[in-house]
Amino acid sequence: MVATQAAVAEHEWTLPRRVAWWVTARRLLARKPLGAFGLVVIALLVVAAVGAPFVGRYDPRETFQRANPLYDPNSFNPQALTATELDRLADPSAAHWFGTDSSGQDTWSWIVWGARRSLGIGVGALAISVTLGTLAGVISAYFGGWVDMLLQRLMDAFQAFPALLLLILIATYLGTSIQMFILSLGLVGISQVSRIVRGTVLSVREMPYVEAARVLGASDLRTMVHHILPNTAAPIIVIFTIGLGTVILAEAGLSFLGLAPPGVSWGQALNEGRNFIRTSPWQAVFSGLAITMAVLAFNLAGDALRDIMDPRLRK
Amino acid sequence: MQQYILKRILFNIPVILLVITVVFMFSHLRPDFAEQRAASGFSGGREYEEALAAIRSELGTDKPVLEQYGRYLWDTFRGDFGNSLATQKPVVVELKNRLGTSIELGILQILVGLLISIPIGVISAIRQDTWLDYVLRFVAILGLAVPSFYMATLMLLFAFNWRGWGPPTTTYTSFFENPSLNLQAMVLPALAGGFGMGAVIMRLLRSQLLEVLRQDYVRTAWAKGLRERAVVARHAMKNAMIPVFTIVGLLIGTLFGGNVILESMFALPGVAAFIVISFKQNDLPMVQGIVLLVGIVLVMTNIVVDISYAWLDPRIRYR
Repeated sequence: MVATQAAVAEHEWTLPRRVAWWVTARRLLARKPLGAFGLVVIALLVVAAVGAPFVGRYDPRETFQRANPLYDPNSFNPQALTATELDRLADPSAAHWFGTDSSGQDTWSWIVWGARRSLGIGVGALAISVTLGTLAGVISAYFGGWVDMLLQRLMDAFQAFPALLLLILIATYLGTSIQMFILSLGLVGISQVSRIVRGTVLSVREMPYVEAARVLGASDLRTMVHHILPNTAAPIIVIFTIGLGTVILAEAGLSFLGLAPPGVSWGQALNEGRNFIRTSPWQAVFSGLAITMAVLAFNLAGDALRDIMDPRLRK
Repeated sequence: MQQYILKRILFNIPVILLVITVVFMFSHLRPDFAEQRAASGFSGGREYEEALAAIRSELGTDKPVLEQYGRYLWDTFRGDFGNSLATQKPVVVELKNRLGTSIELGILQILVGLLISIPIGVISAIRQDTWLDYVLRFVAILGLAVPSFYMATLMLLFAFNWRGWGPPTTTYTSFFENPSLNLQAMVLPALAGGFGMGAVIMRLLRSQLLEVLRQDYVRTAWAKGLRERAVVARHAMKNAMIPVFTIVGLLIGTLFGGNVILESMFALPGVAAFIVISFKQNDLPMVQGIVLLVGIVLVMTNIVVDISYAWLDPRIRYR
């Protein structure tokens, strides 16, 4: 008896063996291969966005020239008088990995810089959604009663509209400067965040340890900030990841339609490339692929994170 | 059943009220900006200041906000969704001619979605965890991830390289004028929009069917010695399809959102494409009117979906 107790005590005091990072990575790969794939793509996107000036090779606005095949200084043809012409709609090559677009700009560098825009707008919009949505969710769960009722029904009404339509409506009245554009994207996302935060707060509020905190005399604010809010972190990280995919898709769609503020954007590249799809499909194919991969990656990673961090959210 | 229908309708009246409120709220985020935007688009040869004052009285923004809100609610309930700044005609009138195209496209997309998803969903469920199931599920994930406008671009590329075919470049003709030309213009947006929808339906149908196939009455059907086809088609499918009908109803909104891009891309003169045109023309009441109208129609669609769900599955009524 004494011996077993000693053994148990000894066992309790041995720390679990430290797991090397590559073991963790291999486990993740084995259990959540799709999630791991998503994380790798996200990592590549972040590298592209942060290191755009190095990864992009060229300035996305730089226009390239090539030797003019018709060149003949003595010709009467005005097109043959210049030694070089715009290197437009070129096929992929060592100089231009993804070819060039209709104005002679490098498609690879455009897509790399496009990652910076997509991620930047995405993170900005999600920051707004998460801040305001958490606030609305916490207020809703905290006050309950008619405040909760009114706020949540208002959030339901948000979701009665297709998101793209609501976005266009907000953009109509806010204008299409880049700040207002990010604000529009952020506002549309509030309802989803508030609903999930409200649900989490409602379930955490009834936990024995929250009751214990109240019994110890903690104020409402202190209970909220120290005991309840930290528990909403897991669902918020999940919403943030999946939400980024949604916002990137919305940004691409609006840029495709020409409703977003102009800039180096994937959606705009896809729309321009579409016009030359028969002669030079590269720009359209690669920019569309960038959108698809980004959306897919954030969704896969979000699903995997949800399974790992918050199994309650699993469908 | 009648009581249930009445309850659904009454429950949704406040929802419609809130839908109107949401549109009003977003339309008044920056009132002075909206006025300036509209005035610069529709000065009509007048001095800017004069145009601004005219737009203000036209939009009603020179009155207190609460009065505007009351007026807006009242107008909407009377069926007045405002007038277009571009043509001065009521929004509803402007949309009437465009409705047919949008509805036709929507129906085609739902048909494509069901035609793709039902066979794939059934095969995937009855051959669960075989390589065929994995391949089909991968296709479904792809259908969810690829944006419809990229899918449409790839289809354009494929159609041209494979058959040398492209959608007609002539102006749009309605189905009743020239069905073949109309369908040629519709086929790519219908396929591109339907594919994404099919992916959602397929995943739902597969999981529903797997659940139903494990139930007692299905085991009884097997025990009677029925063939697989009879068990699946006559016994299991009936119950597995109920949620599928519901999701089709709920996806109509998503479909419409996606068609804002697809209709614009293929120059189809529908309601969804018109919102983009109105946005670019600074026709604020038009944008507002379309969004509100779509929101209300979608709430009503939800009521119909709820009621048909209860009709198909009597258990719902007694919950």
